[in-house]
Amino acid sequence: MKEKLELLLLDDETIVGKRLGPALEKVGYDVEVYEDPVEALNRIHEKEFDIVVTDIMMAEVNGIQVLEEVRKKSDTTKVIIVTGYATVALAREAMDKGAFDMIAKPFKPSELRSVIAKAAHSLGYKQL
Amino acid sequence: MTTLLESDSESINNSKKTVSPRKSALDSDCQGVHSRIRFSLRSHMLLMFILLSSLSMALVIGSVIAINHIQKNLNFFEISQEYLFHIAQARRWEKNYFLYGINLEDSVQSANNAKNILSDNLKKITIILLPEKTATIVQHLDKYRELLQELMVLEENKIKNTEKKHEIETSLRKHGAEMVNVAAALVDAEQHSMNAELKIMQRIPVYSLAAVLLVTTFLVCFFVKRLIKPLRLLVESTQNIAKGDFSPIPPMCKYRSEFTTVELAINHMIQELQLREVAMIESHKLRAVGTLTAGVAHELNNPLNNIMLTAHTIFEDHNDLSEDELLEMINDLINEADRSRKIIRNLLDFAREGESVSEPIDLGVLVNDTIKLAQNQIKVSGAKIETQIQTHLPQIRGDKQQLKQVFLNLILNALDAVKKDGTIKISLEQADTPGFLAVQVEDNGSGIPAYILSNIFDPFFTTKGPGQGTGLGLSVAHGIVTIHGGQISIETEEGEYSRFTVILPSLNVPAEFKKT
Repeated sequence: MKEKLELLLLDDETIVGKRLGPALEKVGYDVEVYEDPVEALNRIHEKEFDIVVTDIMMAEVNGIQVLEEVRKKSDTTKVIIVTGYATVALAREAMDKGAFDMIAKPFKPSELRSVIAKAAHSLGYKQL
Repeated sequence: MTTLLESDSESINNSKKTVSPRKSALDSDCQGVHSRIRFSLRSHMLLMFILLSSLSMALVIGSVIAINHIQKNLNFFEISQEYLFHIAQARRWEKNYFLYGINLEDSVQSANNAKNILSDNLKKITIILLPEKTATIVQHLDKYRELLQELMVLEENKIKNTEKKHEIETSLRKHGAEMVNVAAALVDAEQHSMNAELKIMQRIPVYSLAAVLLVTTFLVCFFVKRLIKPLRLLVESTQNIAKGDFSPIPPMCKYRSEFTTVELAINHMIQELQLREVAMIESHKLRAVGTLTAGVAHELNNPLNNIMLTAHTIFEDHNDLSEDELLEMINDLINEADRSRKIIRNLLDFAREGESVSEPIDLGVLVNDTIKLAQNQIKVSGAKIETQIQTHLPQIRGDKQQLKQVFLNLILNALDAVKKDGTIKISLEQADTPGFLAVQVEDNGSGIPAYILSNIFDPFFTTKGPGQGTGLGLSVAHGIVTIHGGQISIETEEGEYSRFTVILPSLNVPAEFKKT
């Protein structure tokens, strides 16, 4: 078990990374922020993260593809899907493919933090 | 061709601006019709009937007159023959007298009979022969009778003046011969004139047949022109209406007739169809808005999320933030709020109900706006959009909302066709047809099977499942493009691609000219 929970945050909206990166680092996570899904996928292939938070609707690569790539790489990594437009079909697809949870935009930083905390808890991190 | 299309679309756009001017346009149309001279089909029939019956009447009257005339001539011929007979008789008796000394009284009697016939028919003879000739006849007869009378006096008084008798005989022979000659000439002339008339009578049937043929041919041509031409125009007009041309049909004939009623009824129908078309376009637009709303909601959630995250960051960390950081965040808030406003405005611009407005449009901007409108549908589908919008093109004239609707329909259809990871190429350039701009929307999707190709612009034709499509999208697009004076066409290969091309007339004539 690592000291710090390693987290990858992917959203093509710049502001999301700018605000959530510091907000999550503040509570003690090791956060890498990506805007470009291709770069993020490359990084995922290099490194096994504990938690991946990804937006679903992005140009070129969508969140479901990221989820599939993460699943190929690792069984333990928890994937949290962020979506601007939640449909039952999308939620079912994400859950079937092994997402940990979904969160709909717009959300408060605290809401994401609590979902991440749940994921961390399921990974065995207790203190957060 | 081009100018025709432009003026066509212009008149439609003008007439579409408001409903009331159109109504008055129809009213003035009605007045125009009423100012036409009334010449109904019934009048046509009546005219034909009158013409034909007067022609036959003229023929009958002409024949009766001619026959009458011949009969009169025949009578006269008989009379002149009788006259000839009497004077010939008189001469025979006269000869007998000079040879055998008998029959002088009979000769006088015959001469008197001839005189009676002559004086009874003097008028008729004067008309047929010349007055001088008639006078000669009378003169000779009178002289002849006078000489016979003188002979009678000699005979009664038993005077045996051989010299005198001989003198009278010579004179009598001379006048008698003259008299017979003239009478024979009269009979001859009469026979000639009768023969001539009979010849004319023989020709009359031939001439009247020719006249009847001529008049009938003329009437048939006249009727074909008056009846068949409007019917042909009617067929052409209905075909145009079926193609979506809602301009009023041209007058079918110069005069006011039963066809005018048909013409007015059709123009009324066209008006109603046009109103319905407008209503259909509007209702279909609202459906498109429904489709877009889901996407817009998602699109809107991004700036909202940014605002929420930024606001919460400020709320949580305001004590630790530097002034620069704070300013940056506030700036983000403003920008994201502005972004939300634009998204809403773009949709509302499209959804806004209202009068159709014809205005100059930069087609490139309009196509880009439409792509933005469909941005989320594009993101959801995962398709790639490639645009090739030429700049510095002439403007076009039309209704922004309606044209956006056309391109939106084409883009949404293309998205349906490509499913995931397809490519949609959208281009704008000068069309091959001079004076037109062409917008192409091409997808590398499933293509359209040839057997349904002729139906794709029909209303309510859809290949999508129940509740998925209305089957109105392309029909509405076709209607809108047509009223803008343009054309929409498709090239496709099954399993390869579909390429829709919309051409619209550009404003390459000076604006002042277009206004008139």
